Amino acid sequence: MKILQVYRSEPNSDVKTLVGILNRDREADEFNLNVENPDYDTLVAKIFTADKTVCWW
Amino acid sequence: MSADPNKLAIFVTSPQHMRHVVGLANAAEKAGKKLMIFFTYKSIHLTKDPRFKVLAEKCGEDHIAICADSYTCEGYDAAADIPAGLSGKQMRTQAFHGALLDECGKYIVL
Amino acid sequence: MESLKVYILVANRMYNDGIRSGLGLAVENHYAFPVIMNGEFPSFSTYMSENIAWVKDMEGQVYSCGAVAPDACVDEDGDKLIAEISLEELGEAMRDADFIIPYGLSKQTNEPPPACAE
Repeated sequence: MKILQVYRSEPNSDVKTLVGILNRDREADEFNLNVENPDYDTLVAKIFTADKTVCWW
Repeated sequence: MSADPNKLAIFVTSPQHMRHVVGLANAAEKAGKKLMIFFTYKSIHLTKDPRFKVLAEKCGEDHIAICADSYTCEGYDAAADIPAGLSGKQMRTQAFHGALLDECGKYIVL
Repeated sequence: MESLKVYILVANRMYNDGIRSGLGLAVENHYAFPVIMNGEFPSFSTYMSENIAWVKDMEGQVYSCGAVAPDACVDEDGDKLIAEISLEELGEAMRDADFIIPYGLSKQTNEPPPACAE
């Protein structure tokens, strides 16, 4: 299971806790959308490599 | 029908990330991926963004829709003011979200 | 069609529509688990309470994470319709989810003004 965590804003402590549990014993990757110019090509590549994507608030 | 591994679902629930919706849709198209997009609840305000019509035309009638009930709940006229780029057939229910889950191999919420 | 397990996380008081969205998936034969985070509860209108009950009838469950489940949302026997779940339990449960949907916006920093507090 390869899981991708995407963040639309800075993750709070609840999100960090949930991500820690979801990522446990899994291959995990992340992508930060909360920047001026996100590289959407990279995001698409990551989404299609991952088995599951979670995009947090 | 099994999910298409080359098809990306975008479930839009936030009214403030049109740049991500458009950026992701353009990047997916460039990568040769198919798209399916559903706007629900307060994200339907994004239909008033001028970029929405372009996005809708890119996706095509069967692959983009909005929640008609949300549109009405937010005060718009779902009969007389269908968003630019959409037809009446694209004013849908939450069942369209179910279709995203069933038909798309990849899925992201914005 | 395979029935999928979907968690819908509601962190903002304005986005309890996530419960309706979950019900929409339940009607499509998926298992819906809307989760209201940190007490961001809706007003429990008859419509909202019926939706919460209906999610449960369709083998899903509306949860409260981080706050006591409210007494205002009960079934005809007076039992609470919303179940409580801890953050750690939620994380463990979501490891098994097919889809996780952080719905709408994150929690607001400010308390709502009287104009929209109810």
